[in-house]
Amino acid sequence: MNLYKYASPTNFYPLAGKIIPWFATPAAILFGVGLFVGFFIAPPDFQQGDAYRIMFIHVPAAWLGMFLYILMAIYAGIGWAFNARLASMMASSISITGAMFTFLSLVTGAFWGKPTWGTWWVWDARMTSTLILLFLYIGFISLQSSIDDPRRADRAGAVLALVGVINVPIIYFSVQWWNTLHQGATIRILQKPTIHGSMLWAMLIMLAACWLYSVAVVLIRVRCIIVEREQNANRFVEATV
Amino acid sequence: MNWPDLSMGGYGFYVWGSYLFALLAIVWELVTLSYRRKSREQEKAAPEVLRGTTNETTS
Repeated sequence: MNLYKYASPTNFYPLAGKIIPWFATPAAILFGVGLFVGFFIAPPDFQQGDAYRIMFIHVPAAWLGMFLYILMAIYAGIGWAFNARLASMMASSISITGAMFTFLSLVTGAFWGKPTWGTWWVWDARMTSTLILLFLYIGFISLQSSIDDPRRADRAGAVLALVGVINVPIIYFSVQWWNTLHQGATIRILQKPTIHGSMLWAMLIMLAACWLYSVAVVLIRVRCIIVEREQNANRFVEATV
Repeated sequence: MNWPDLSMGGYGFYVWGSYLFALLAIVWELVTLSYRRKSREQEKAAPEVLRGTTNETTS
């Protein structure tokens, strides 16, 4: 099986159409399961009561916002380095979903901050660096939209995406590097989590749901981008012949 | 199984508000995506558009 042929937008288009339901359906199911575990199984927190349940949407949104940015930068970098059209289209497609999740993490964080910290917003290292991440997404989307030639737009976007990657470790380690109002990491790869098992499961299921949702939406959008760019290319050829 | 208190122990506005925002964000993304698909009429146009293109992976 020659997987390389799927680097062509023309070949990838039907493949993406076939695999979208394999991500969209489990995403819908896992959203339901995650919310059920989060609201019906997980107990109230001994300090925050039920306010902590915002975590089940806030943490997956924040993780996805960061992870999708890295993925977007990798695709944009591949598109730039190898002149791979599909990789650049994937970067464009990911940017909107990444921006949506970053915005969601900021809004849900504000909703969580008010009852626990007494304020909607502080210019704290974690929140400020996450806001910068949202601006980077918006800058990437705006830059690509403002340039008519898709190849030039992809190159310009790739530079911005790659430079902006430096912000992701800053977000992640900000709670360790600076004194912040935001709490430190609750879940670490090499250490036992400090939250109740049912809370952890609810969060991980919601994370999986958000991840599957992102893949489905990105694939739907990249199919739109493929057709739009090919339409524009064909019009350009027709206009110049 | 615990039936959750809808008032969320007095934090209902914040908890339900954040989930409502999440729902609105997802619905917004799906609606704009659906609109984008329909406006381009790509379901009908896609095979025609892609027929004239090559299999090149680079521009």
